[in-house]
Amino acid sequence: MDKKKNDPIGGNTILLWVSPLKALILHLICGLGLGLAFWVANHIYSLDLITNYSSHFVSQVFLAPVLILLYSHLRHDRNQCSYVKAVGRGLLALPAGAVVNALGATILGAPVGFEYFPKTLSWSLLMSLLTFVPAACVFGSSWTDWHRVFARTKANESTDCMICLPAHGAVIGAWFGAWPMPLDWESPWQEWPICVTYGAVAGYLVGLVASLGCIIFRNRQQHLKEE
Amino acid sequence: MDSSSLTCKRLTLITVLAVLIQVFGLALFVLGFFPVKPALSGFSGVESFYPPGGDSAEFQNTTNLSDSQLKYLYQELSLVPPLFDRLILMVIDGLPAEFVLGKDGEPPAKDFKDAMPYTQSLLSKGRAIGYHAKAAPPTVTMPRLKAMVSGAVGGFLDVAFNFNTQALLDDNIIVQFLKVGWKIVMHGDETWLKLFPGMFSRHDGVSSFFVKDTVQVDQNVSRHLVDELSRADWSFLILHYLGLDHVGHLGGRNSVLMAPKLGEMDEVIKTIDLNSLPTNNNDQGRTLLLVVSDHGMTESGNHGGSSFEETDSLALFIGPTTFGSTSGTPNKANQADLASTLSLLFGVPIPKNNVGMLMAETFKSLTVDQQLRLLELNSWQLLRLLEAQLPGLVCENFLCDDFRDDGSERTSSLEETFCCLYMKAADLHRSWKSGEEKSCHSILVAYHNFLRTASEWLSHRATDKPVGQLIFGVAAILVSCLILLSLLFLLAKQVFSEQNQQFSSANNDPSWWHLDEIFILVVIIIVVISMGSSSLVEEEQYIWHFMTSSLYLLSLRKVMQQNTSNYIQICSIFVILISGRFLRGWHQGGVNWTHLPDISKWLEQAGSSYIKLFQLVSGNLLISISLVSLLWSRKLKKNFVTVVALMHLFPGLLVLHYITKYQDVAFSTGSYDATLMAQLIYAVLGFCSTSIVGSVPWWIPLQNRTLSVHQRKAWGLCFRDSAYVIGLSYVYYWSLLQLMLQQPINSMPVLFLFLQVLASIWHSSGSNQHLRQWVEVAALYYMGMAGHFGLGNTNTLATIDVAGAFVGVLNHSTILSGILMFIITYASPMLYLLSMVMYSSASGFVISQKGDFGSLLRRTLGFPCLIPLGLNSILLIAYTIVLLLMRNHLFVWSVFSPKFLYVCATTVCVCLGVSVVASTVIYICLVLAYREKLQTHTD
Repeated sequence: MDKKKNDPIGGNTILLWVSPLKALILHLICGLGLGLAFWVANHIYSLDLITNYSSHFVSQVFLAPVLILLYSHLRHDRNQCSYVKAVGRGLLALPAGAVVNALGATILGAPVGFEYFPKTLSWSLLMSLLTFVPAACVFGSSWTDWHRVFARTKANESTDCMICLPAHGAVIGAWFGAWPMPLDWESPWQEWPICVTYGAVAGYLVGLVASLGCIIFRNRQQHLKEE
Repeated sequence: MDSSSLTCKRLTLITVLAVLIQVFGLALFVLGFFPVKPALSGFSGVESFYPPGGDSAEFQNTTNLSDSQLKYLYQELSLVPPLFDRLILMVIDGLPAEFVLGKDGEPPAKDFKDAMPYTQSLLSKGRAIGYHAKAAPPTVTMPRLKAMVSGAVGGFLDVAFNFNTQALLDDNIIVQFLKVGWKIVMHGDETWLKLFPGMFSRHDGVSSFFVKDTVQVDQNVSRHLVDELSRADWSFLILHYLGLDHVGHLGGRNSVLMAPKLGEMDEVIKTIDLNSLPTNNNDQGRTLLLVVSDHGMTESGNHGGSSFEETDSLALFIGPTTFGSTSGTPNKANQADLASTLSLLFGVPIPKNNVGMLMAETFKSLTVDQQLRLLELNSWQLLRLLEAQLPGLVCENFLCDDFRDDGSERTSSLEETFCCLYMKAADLHRSWKSGEEKSCHSILVAYHNFLRTASEWLSHRATDKPVGQLIFGVAAILVSCLILLSLLFLLAKQVFSEQNQQFSSANNDPSWWHLDEIFILVVIIIVVISMGSSSLVEEEQYIWHFMTSSLYLLSLRKVMQQNTSNYIQICSIFVILISGRFLRGWHQGGVNWTHLPDISKWLEQAGSSYIKLFQLVSGNLLISISLVSLLWSRKLKKNFVTVVALMHLFPGLLVLHYITKYQDVAFSTGSYDATLMAQLIYAVLGFCSTSIVGSVPWWIPLQNRTLSVHQRKAWGLCFRDSAYVIGLSYVYYWSLLQLMLQQPINSMPVLFLFLQVLASIWHSSGSNQHLRQWVEVAALYYMGMAGHFGLGNTNTLATIDVAGAFVGVLNHSTILSGILMFIITYASPMLYLLSMVMYSSASGFVISQKGDFGSLLRRTLGFPCLIPLGLNSILLIAYTIVLLLMRNHLFVWSVFSPKFLYVCATTVCVCLGVSVVASTVIYICLVLAYREKLQTHTD
């Protein structure tokens, strides 16, 4: 989205950009975690995304620990915040983010009603995992960081990149995923929120790849500078 | 400012010119695409049996003849005794003729042939004559029925402009049969009841509302069958079976239910034939069973377009004996031919607007003399219609000698061709009568030549489109669109450069496009792209709501980007988003998902007392919010505000009184008091708004005149205040009017729209920089469109609220009702256009403006007027081109054409709204400038 990023800090950012190998591993864990969660739900619990969306909580149950544990490891204020505390605020952010995402979806036209409630809840938990929880684990309640990453879409270091790009990817993907819903193709996957979920997951994966690319690119640039 | 810059005057002139070009091009296009053919009024009578051109005074007065006397008079005059005495018209909705007659000489599919053994045996015995009767688009039931009974091919606008009455007012065979004293019985589709109210002695209408019902809908017709067949009191029995069409809609042509349904229809035909037709020689007379279908269906079972599958409808004549010498091969005809054929078979005058020619095979049992007489009658009728449509048609003027020999070798005018063809046939006929001409065959051919040419020309006239006119119209619309867009571009460039001078140290880089600005363009591109898909046209409300709320979420993000949080802006965005969501949930809208629950259905279930409560609450809230925003937000003189507030309060209370006391009765009985009250409210609203507009600029106190430096600033403040008060009054009075006219269920959405308008004004006045005025104006326009669908409107003509169009109208007046209907339908776009006056007051830069009067007008008025015009012109040209490309599409009549009518009406709405806004703001400026001049004079 925001291609004209210029790094104002310059030389001080050496430490902030991790090595390509580490970045690759981190991203692989995220992507594989997402894949694994859906695979488990699909094959072990034999839950089909289309027919029983609302019982797809299972995939979130598997995805949540992976992401929370991973991102808590990357927490910002290591001196004041223990690992357990980071995990705790990640867990706290899960329902809060779900509320925000559900509100956003409702504003954009998601159906409201008792029969849709489990579906909306399940979807918004997934969105919360992809967008809010990583930020909460890493930044805690630091308003400036949140503001920088989400309102201004500005990444100063590799964790910013890893939070910002996949989260924006998920939101934009979900936005595009809503497009087939009013069409009269009468396919079962046009129901709320199945195609939106597909869109969000696709967008998230694209965001992951982009953030990986971004980190590697920045890293190389810095190496060039140092030389 | 350099010389090439846009002065205010030039801008106005070019804009007005562009709008005029647009309206002109649109009118050309509409008239070309939807041809309006002149229809003859009145009903055919005795004159049908005399050659055209005779003096109408010489015919004897038939008004005081009784039914049976008229019948005998007709028989006497026509010289041909009627072939049948009773008619059973069995309409099988949506049956393609292919199913019964086969196609291209091939027999029908085996399943279908086996399903209808009785009908097939009648066909093979020669007791039935089958026709492929080609139906004209739109292939939907009502226009097809009209074509069958009146013989006229109607245009699309006939359907569209008939919303106040669906009854068929033109001449038709039903009326002709009633005139000769027939009793008519109808069982089946209730469309017949709408078309011919009060004309049936007995009827049982079934609705085609539940498409999933394929059984009950036909049983409701068949249950009357045996009883009716045993009665002798009717002469004309209409049976309209809907089940087959429903089967098609559910499963297409090859549905498993199709063959059983055909079998059921075969059983009905068998029952009728066995019970009624052989009773030839008793007192009931000879009975004709005519099995027709109104249209065909596509492979998937849909209809509406003009493909062969849809237009291939059936006409099957089944008589008590064979029809003379009939050829086994299926015959071809037009659906419109049914009217003239039936008239001639039963000896009544042919309907006036009939364009069809008789189906010759059904008359084979008559003598040659009689056949020629019937051809002559049909020719006279068509010649009369031709004379009405071609004013220069006087056959004595043409010499057709060489025509006789070699047909149409030399290029001749249309009139000449018709005349010569007719004269040739008439001359041959005359010499046959006097015994000179011996071969009847040449006369028959001559008559058929004339009839076919005339019939083809007349029916194509109703459906053909003049290509040159269409292209010219599109070109004019395109030119106006380009002019408006280039004006917009020039204006933006100029405003932009001025702003650069003004805020040279602007902290945000002006060359950088913000996300919301890009998104404005994305919205318009997506809307244009979505126009090409019929399902997205049907579900357009989703696009507008989705895009508008996305736009406001983006502007929320933009507000959040600023380091200092602006709470007014955040709150107003939330108000806009939440009320937008309520509006979206109020009516489900669209076509495919209307059955899903929404708030309006929920409220209607809850009962009318709740609806009334909501209405009162929203009325009270509307009044109090407008009063609060009037009193609270501006520091004006006290007595001034009091007078304006009273002028707001009084009509508000009147409308509340009307809602509580009269609204229920107004719809049901049209009581006199309610009408009077409504008229009083119209008058009060009109008086209050004009007096506020007229007097506020004169009243508003000019402050701070001692300091000459601040003179401009004071002047700007005055402008702001008066624009605010006038704009608020506009918006408020418009909402009050809507509260009164809209359906009771829509009262809350009107309040939400009002809230959205106020919130977007807060939003604009809350932000301290007005670099991107065009974004805000475009957002207002988009919200207007989203609200349009929020009030329950769709792109079909069915959702136009007709009931409200008669509020306060004493005598039925099409113009007044049309205006009210327009006001109701375009409530939301108009509201947002009117709010532009208020918006121009919220513009922050007015105060800092140091330029002259003209440049101030340009800055305040330029974008609020040009942006809606420009956006609308883009949508208009895009949709016009889409319609042109889709003219052969399946859904051109059912989806694209109604949408085009809405687009046209939106154009009218935008033009009206913009002119109101422009004249109001110009008036304010003129008055203020005059007052200022006066003041400096006295000083």
